[in-house]
Amino acid sequence: MSNLNEENYEEERGGFVFDNVTRNMFMETKGYQAPIAMKTGTTIAGVIFKGGVVLGADTRATNGPIVADKNCSKIHFIAPNVYCCGAGTAADTENSTALISSKLALHRYSTGRQTRVVTAMTLLKRMLFKYQGHVSAALVLGGVDLDGSHLYTIYPHGSTDKLPFVTMGSGSLAAMAIFEERFKDDMSEEEAKSLVHAGISAGIFNDLGSGSNVDLCVIRKDSVEYLRGYDQPNERNYRTSYVIPRGTTATLSSTEEVLSKQLIINELDDRMEVAP
Amino acid sequence: MTTHISPQMASSGTQHGKFEPYVNNGGTTLAIPGKDFVIAAGDTRLSTGYSIHTRQSSKVFQLTDKCVIVTAGMQSDASTLHKTMHARLVHYEHAHGKQMSTEAIGQMLSNMLYGRRFFPYYTFNLVAGIDSKGQGVVYGYDAIGSYQSVEVGAMGTGQSLIQPLLDNQVAYKNHQLVPSKELDLERALSLVKDSFTSAGERDIYTGDSVEIAIITQEGIKYETLQLKQD
Amino acid sequence: MSLSFLDKSYNAFHDDQSFEEANSNTLTLYKEPGLVVPPTFNNAGFRDQSHEIAKKFAKGTTTLGFVFNKGIVIAVDSRASMGNYISSQNVKKVIEINPYLLGTMAGGAADCQFWERYLGMQCRLYELRNKRRITVSAASKLLVNIMYSYKGYGLSMGTMVAGWDHTGPNLFMVDNDGTRLKGNRFSVGSGSMFAYGVLDSGYRPDLTEEQACELGRRAIYHATHRDSMSGGIINVYLIREDGWHKISSTDMDHLHWNYVEDKKKEIADRNKL
Repeated sequence: MSNLNEENYEEERGGFVFDNVTRNMFMETKGYQAPIAMKTGTTIAGVIFKGGVVLGADTRATNGPIVADKNCSKIHFIAPNVYCCGAGTAADTENSTALISSKLALHRYSTGRQTRVVTAMTLLKRMLFKYQGHVSAALVLGGVDLDGSHLYTIYPHGSTDKLPFVTMGSGSLAAMAIFEERFKDDMSEEEAKSLVHAGISAGIFNDLGSGSNVDLCVIRKDSVEYLRGYDQPNERNYRTSYVIPRGTTATLSSTEEVLSKQLIINELDDRMEVAP
Repeated sequence: MTTHISPQMASSGTQHGKFEPYVNNGGTTLAIPGKDFVIAAGDTRLSTGYSIHTRQSSKVFQLTDKCVIVTAGMQSDASTLHKTMHARLVHYEHAHGKQMSTEAIGQMLSNMLYGRRFFPYYTFNLVAGIDSKGQGVVYGYDAIGSYQSVEVGAMGTGQSLIQPLLDNQVAYKNHQLVPSKELDLERALSLVKDSFTSAGERDIYTGDSVEIAIITQEGIKYETLQLKQD
Repeated sequence: MSLSFLDKSYNAFHDDQSFEEANSNTLTLYKEPGLVVPPTFNNAGFRDQSHEIAKKFAKGTTTLGFVFNKGIVIAVDSRASMGNYISSQNVKKVIEINPYLLGTMAGGAADCQFWERYLGMQCRLYELRNKRRITVSAASKLLVNIMYSYKGYGLSMGTMVAGWDHTGPNLFMVDNDGTRLKGNRFSVGSGSMFAYGVLDSGYRPDLTEEQACELGRRAIYHATHRDSMSGGIINVYLIREDGWHKISSTDMDHLHWNYVEDKKKEIADRNKL
């Protein structure tokens, strides 16, 4: 455990800080409850078709029984030719994919070559294995590289599978039921999209952890189509209007402050410089 | 400083299977009394954990010609309670040649719930009816029989989402300007529908459809509104 | 489960069976009057669960009662909470047992409501049998005997029984441990220490009825102000020789702003001098 006095204070260099792990474990034995992270009780899936990969996800994020986000995005960018669906703790999936994505970007700048899906998979599994399941990210990784189309699942402890059709998250059983029934080798793009759509929909309607919309991402040999809000089957159908007359809320006291008459906005070009 | 936990402390010898007779089947119920009407409603989703068991399980149970009960909590306890209440009411009607008053039903339920003080029914009830003065009345209960007539009642997994809204819109809580016009049936009904659609947006256990009982001196009418299925 | 258990007259001395004995080998046991005692095999998980469910209502509270020359003042708040959630802001925490007897509610709402209603019935039966009203002392004793017989079963009650009988004004405090205390000043509940502070400093036996009611109201107000588990409406009752009277029912929020106004005026007046 580090002491935070001046002599041995080290400047933070990024990454995880484990200082309070022992303390927190002790506090939990005494009945203290750690704050609950936002989870994406989720349905995510992917299918390989003739010309590439289709990834799919629902858009519900929950906090216990409460829907925290009705339209969150669970398909993350890894590389121009690789995308990744995340289930588990929202912060873990977002940061793990972003971290590996930036590592791969540096790798591309260094090598000048396209990222391979297997490289992304290896970096992710190494990271997750290192943290022994404490980083709770369950991922579906898909992309197309010079070797063709690839689709992986990566479990929170670091194990991986390479399969032609995969599902993950709390709605994985509902989605897999559809896939097992309807998957065929060498489907057309439209067939694949319709299959993933059906699988994610099964999760949305039958799993309480999943809900709202269907997002799809089609990765082909040299193009990507990110279909955010591909299907929106859960629009609100009833709404009452509320008229709250002025003066309904009590005014206890009021003060007035005069702001400067003009607001000047300087638009600066603060884009980061990057290598060509 | 180090913290030492001995292995004896960590593992506690014999292991017992746990007797856990309660599950929460989720869902939300709601009741609003008016001057000469009362509305009671409950969604129809029945679930445990992340699974939906059925999308059409009623939480509303008709007790008399002018009284219903809506129950959130555990379905098996709710149905047992409803059947037991029904039996008591049939018995009462045969013995007295009339239906039990809403007020009496209110006290009877309290006694039935408290009778299970040490092995409670896992139910959260609202009794809604027309009282002997012809006015709408709603009684709200806890699991073991504490009860009181309420201005507006919400129970179940969506309670904390709906109750504050209805306190404000029905009971005019935290209002400086209280409208002189009292709540009419049409407005109450639209509030009920909006409450359930709103709860359905944010509570994963509320959805599928909502069954609404509208009770007036003329009798009981039922309405159903579709909610989101996700 | 029928109401018929209430037909059996309650005998405070019937129960010589200990809690352990009662739980030893019977699956279900009907303990008079008619309460179902849970099965006991591998009970650990069940006890946690059923206790969670039973304790869900009305935990935080401030109630008080005091005797003065003209009678008794009872003042209470009206908040009920389930953990962090305020489940009600207008609970009736004064239970009107009969026109001469009041009970207060702290702890489990159902326990207080049920047993004080039961006490009302017993008091009425006493009147019918003996052709005279029951004393406050006897009434509170009936209640505490029930509490003692259920000791260890997990009932939760902190109640005051107040009333006027042939001996004059009487105030008793009864709780689920089987405590029964006679006294002139009590405050029960999570906000009681705040109420006591105001009550003890403002109390005199020769207060007028108005002063006494205001003291009770003010003591509860200060408790609702500092105790997050207390709040809502403040109800004040006064017991005279002719029985109890409901004096006021005031939203603590309105009361707060009135008191703020009063204080402002007081300061302004002092500055004028």
